[in-house]
Amino acid sequence: MLHYSFMQNAFMISILISILCPLIGMFLVLRRYSMIGDTLAHASLAGVAVGLVTNINPIISAFFVTSAFGIIIEVLRENFKRYAELILAITLSLSVGIAITIISAGAVHTNVESFLFGSILTVTRGDLYTVLVLSVISIGTIVGLYQQLVFLTFDEEGAKLAGIKTKFINYIFAVLVAATISVAIRIVGVLVISSLIALPVATALQLQKGFKITMIFSIVVSFVDIILGLIISYWINAAPGGVTALISVCLLLLTILLKKLHVYKFSSRQVKS
Amino acid sequence: MIAVKNLWFSYTPGGAYLLRNLNLTIKDGDYISVLGENGSGKSTLIKLLLNSLTPVKGTIVNDFTKPAYVSQRFENLNSQFPITVYEVLNCYRKTLKIKDKNCISNSLALVKMSDFSQALIGTLSGGQCQKIFIARALMGNPDVLILDEPSNGIDQMSQTEIYQLIKKINRGNKMTVISVEHNIKAAMENSTLIYHITQGSGHLCTPDVYINESLPINTGGDRYASL
Repeated sequence: MLHYSFMQNAFMISILISILCPLIGMFLVLRRYSMIGDTLAHASLAGVAVGLVTNINPIISAFFVTSAFGIIIEVLRENFKRYAELILAITLSLSVGIAITIISAGAVHTNVESFLFGSILTVTRGDLYTVLVLSVISIGTIVGLYQQLVFLTFDEEGAKLAGIKTKFINYIFAVLVAATISVAIRIVGVLVISSLIALPVATALQLQKGFKITMIFSIVVSFVDIILGLIISYWINAAPGGVTALISVCLLLLTILLKKLHVYKFSSRQVKS
Repeated sequence: MIAVKNLWFSYTPGGAYLLRNLNLTIKDGDYISVLGENGSGKSTLIKLLLNSLTPVKGTIVNDFTKPAYVSQRFENLNSQFPITVYEVLNCYRKTLKIKDKNCISNSLALVKMSDFSQALIGTLSGGQCQKIFIARALMGNPDVLILDEPSNGIDQMSQTEIYQLIKKINRGNKMTVISVEHNIKAAMENSTLIYHITQGSGHLCTPDVYINESLPINTGGDRYASL
């Protein structure tokens, strides 16, 4: 199956996604912002629609539109401090409203379904290069800001007092989330991107280790999720988004089960001795 | 030195003032405990000194350049957070741009927590955790250490250790210490001065004077205290 060039493109993009999604997911989940990832993923559909209407590469248009929504969320957060989830409802209404209006008005003559559910067949070399550039810049930025992001995530007040420009970093982070989502749109689709952002991290959290180890483990998990998702969806001829989402849930449940068994064994051994 | 002059503060614009016309001078090397009832504005004063709130009226002149802050322990800590003690200290070190990696092990040794460098922060007891946050605060060699109820929810032994350490660096290294306290005993034993806030206004006094002022109020008079 790897001799098809679309499959090669899909695999390479998937590897990039499997690194980037949990990197961003780690900070989103630990700051209790997983739903922001989900909202922005849906908001990216507006970007895709805009791209399809204006004949811009939908990954690039999704990146810019999603970044804009990410920044809107950050701005609104200042105004709705106590009702953070309300911001998500507002953003969702605006973005999905735009997307549905554009798509249903018949202005788009492409198959939108592939962006909703993910697709292997439609991935082009051009997509690969776009994704590569976005991923390299994003991963570089995360590595550069790693310590500040960890500090901010663990102890926002302390980070502020230690001189970290928290607002500035929050804005950069919003753009990083947008980049991650745009990168993932092609393969996993808008509807289940959050499964790749949140679930590998949820799985890695079961290990109860430090930050770096948890992060590395979540990358391993997401790699397994998406590569398995890709292979299986190829064989059963289904959209990769759905299969990947199901595998990530299975892997999480399996990890929880193994952990429970381990704890059970450990405690029964202690009882015997 | 910190000079607070005619400070007025309110959280709501035009609302009732929480702090009214405070005047306070903190000299280098002082160990000041801020005492007062719940809701008297102690923590607010600390936030003003840390510059994370701005006064409505009045001025705060602060010529300390390297402040360090230890917040109330249970305030924001997520015990499920996957982070090791080393990682907590290391991201602080990187943020302050301290080149010397040994400062992590040195500050852990100072609070006698060297064995816990790879422990997850959520697995530590209250006292151990507080010691880690004090170790973190001390990493940058601060010129003023600001604490918010350092003994809140902490076992007796850790309390003793923590106060001994704070007292030692205050007297030995001449580090200025400002500490919000509910622990009156600790305040009496360790601090050089007490800042006593009641109903929005405050005054500075020595621990002895504070005892004489507040004992009759808290104990129902000398008769009870002498029993």
